[in-house]
Amino acid sequence: MTSEVSKGLTRSIELYQDRSSRVKELRAEGKKVMGYLCIYPVLEMMTALDIVPYRIFGDLHEPVTEADSYMPAVNCPFLRSCLDIGLKGKYDFLDGIVTSHICDVGSTLSSIWIYALKPPFSHHIDMPHTLHETALAQEKGLLEDYKKALEGLSGKEMTSEALEAAIRVHNEQRALVRELYELKKLNPPLISGAETIQVIKAIESIPVDEGNQLLREVISEVKERSNGPQKKSSRLLVWGSIIDDTAMMEMIEGLDANVVMDDTCVGSRPYFDDVEITDDPLDGLAYHYLVDIKCSRTFRVNNYMDVHKDYMKDLEIRFSYLKDYADEWKADGVIMESVRYCDTHGYDVPGIRDYLDSIGLPSVYLEHDYTEGALAPLRTRVQGFLEIIG
Amino acid sequence: MTQETKPRALNRLKSMYALRAEVDRMYEGGVEASEEGKPVAWVMLEGWSNAILNAMGVKTVFPENYSSLCAAQGMAEPFMERSEAEGWPSHLCGYARASVGYSARMVDVGGKIPPEAPGGGMPKPTLLVASGETCDARFKWFQSLGRFFDAPVWTLESPSPGIRERLSSETYERNVQFLIKELKAFVAFLENLLGKKMDWDMLEFTGGGTNEINRLRWEINELRKSRPGPMHTRDFWSVMTAALFRGAADPEVIIEGHQKMYDEVTERVEKGIAGINRPEKYRMSFEGLPPWHTLGFLDQLAERGWNFVIESAYRPMRPRTVDLSMYDDPMERYVRRRYRSLEESLQEDYEPDEVEAIKNEIIRDGTSSRLGLKHISDYQVDGVVLHVLLTCRATSAGLNLLQRKILDVLKVPSLVIEGDIIDASAFNAAEALRKAEAFEETMDHYRKVRKELGMPW
Ligand code: SF4
Ligand code: SF4
Repeated sequence: MTSEVSKGLTRSIELYQDRSSRVKELRAEGKKVMGYLCIYPVLEMMTALDIVPYRIFGDLHEPVTEADSYMPAVNCPFLRSCLDIGLKGKYDFLDGIVTSHICDVGSTLSSIWIYALKPPFSHHIDMPHTLHETALAQEKGLLEDYKKALEGLSGKEMTSEALEAAIRVHNEQRALVRELYELKKLNPPLISGAETIQVIKAIESIPVDEGNQLLREVISEVKERSNGPQKKSSRLLVWGSIIDDTAMMEMIEGLDANVVMDDTCVGSRPYFDDVEITDDPLDGLAYHYLVDIKCSRTFRVNNYMDVHKDYMKDLEIRFSYLKDYADEWKADGVIMESVRYCDTHGYDVPGIRDYLDSIGLPSVYLEHDYTEGALAPLRTRVQGFLEIIG
Repeated sequence: MTQETKPRALNRLKSMYALRAEVDRMYEGGVEASEEGKPVAWVMLEGWSNAILNAMGVKTVFPENYSSLCAAQGMAEPFMERSEAEGWPSHLCGYARASVGYSARMVDVGGKIPPEAPGGGMPKPTLLVASGETCDARFKWFQSLGRFFDAPVWTLESPSPGIRERLSSETYERNVQFLIKELKAFVAFLENLLGKKMDWDMLEFTGGGTNEINRLRWEINELRKSRPGPMHTRDFWSVMTAALFRGAADPEVIIEGHQKMYDEVTERVEKGIAGINRPEKYRMSFEGLPPWHTLGFLDQLAERGWNFVIESAYRPMRPRTVDLSMYDDPMERYVRRRYRSLEESLQEDYEPDEVEAIKNEIIRDGTSSRLGLKHISDYQVDGVVLHVLLTCRATSAGLNLLQRKILDVLKVPSLVIEGDIIDASAFNAAEALRKAEAFEETMDHYRKVRKELGMPW
């Protein structure tokens, strides 16, 4: 069995290429495997009940043929790809699906998935949009519902102890991912942007403890190896919507640039803040998933009761973490990327550009339709950008 | 011999014109208020904030509606081009992009209304009220306007649970409490911004006015079930702006306008007069948002006997009488008067045995294939036009699923037309018309299928 022999980066690549191999083994052993979309369906709560979370991704290399009859083409091509793959039966092994309001299309996809694929279990978390105090209480209430739904599925009670233990093991994963990202601060970085995606996708395809073991292996391997990424002229930070395939990173890193840091959801975004362990663990979880995770889906302002508005201050509050990333990882340019029709990220583009301009960090915006063919014209644009910042 | 001229394809309601004129007055009122130094809010259409703002003496204008007005007058294009030049991606909501361009132009002219602005324009906002209701664009868009105005943005939360979750009474009660607290926080914010206290009696008045308008709109829509359909979708779209995009506290004029419309539609029903001046060959439903730039397309379809008797967007809610006497808190009354549970909606809309069947389906499958189709059967529709919009995910993402459900459950076919609310270049009228002609055979076929199955139409 491959899982017993390969380790570290090799294992990550294997899982990247054949994501379901491990969870199918676990399922055969009687474990439940739960599909989830995006980064919001509180994985700790699945882990606490010994349910294996398995993130649903699309496949950029597979033409969309089935999803058209359920969702028009003018919608997130990533989600259409997820649906297409689902309709082709490739997620049939899942015991269910958990979705949340990541965006309009994400919520619609949830209804379509339930209607068309009839999963044995489904649950939708209607996440609030703001960081209002009321929203935080609402998020906690929603997690209480989610807890009940998962308990109903597993037939077990989710004790506070089990949930706390799950939070610790997921926090350990977050710490390990951050440790991995530390290795990208070096010049050249010890691990490339494309390899990082492989590793993140791999850990999102197996139980958290196995993911932690894999991360440890990867960290010690990349520290030791001599065939890591070459030093390039530019160090880039990539911000944007989902990138769940190495193709774009490979395209960028095939030019004279290292991708040293990212703010994307198959990257640093879900891992850079820990969940605080609170008396009622749901408080810490609600706070983390609503407040800590900085995704364009959420409406953020400094103090929402403040009746004064200052655009630059507002941008600073929302995006200064990007400056921190750029400073710490010594990035000299930012690629803003998004799949076409992603509204939540699209509306942030002008503001992020204004912010980056204000701190003197050059940026370029790339939009693509989640196909391999879309990358060729983008290559020319990235090349042009590198020439400017080089 | 004098040549007889054929009447126009649409038989427009006379009462529509007065209500439509109120929309112009809404914009005029916004400009006047701004000139007098009174607060003006740019607001997204949603169910909660307008009555509160109006009760606090804030004039409201609606960029969403203003963009459609620009499109209808062929003026949206330059604003959208400007939005792209400012770096807003071109796939974003057409309403948003037109308002971004408009805002950029305002900055060009020193915060004044740009001279080319149609309908008198929208004045600079004192605040922006965004919403989590219906679409993400509503809060992302307003936040992104920060580049042009240092006006604070408040995003109103609006819960929208999954279907199974919506059946739970606990979820309903939690959402009621969430709304109450959220709206109270909004009021506190407004009090701070405006330096004055909320007038709760005024809220009862403006909120009550909104309910009365909704009731009349509902009654009018009930009349539209008649054969032939007495009121065309274009009239509905023309007047919905006056009902939903209200700028000031006094609802009387709008109520009166709707009362007149109710009377006119009643008369049409009694006399068997249709909303089109051609024999009603096909009763149609329009699903999605209107093509504001090319509304005349529906007139061309009316020439062929297509009578759009109902539509999916902007529909009024079924009026309800709830006993609120046990609630002292005016905000609680305000919320409970409108916010209803799925259970309650099912009880109102379906026969008892059907309610149970739907609930069982939802509990078992997470959804019911019968949800969202009621207007198609109630209005005995022969065909549905699905308007898939290039720039609106919220109203387009589910249309293909709807198409399947309508056909599977009701044996009613749909015609998919691609276009946009604002961007005329996304719509090919000639091609759409060709598709429409061919679609008539499909509608004829399914009429027979329904008959064979013993369906009522
Ligand atoms: S990429 Fe954008 S549109 Fe697609 S799922 Fe993510 S947030 Fe939604
Ligand atoms: S529902 Fe669609 S058209 Fe309306 S504001 Fe939202 S994105 Fe724009």
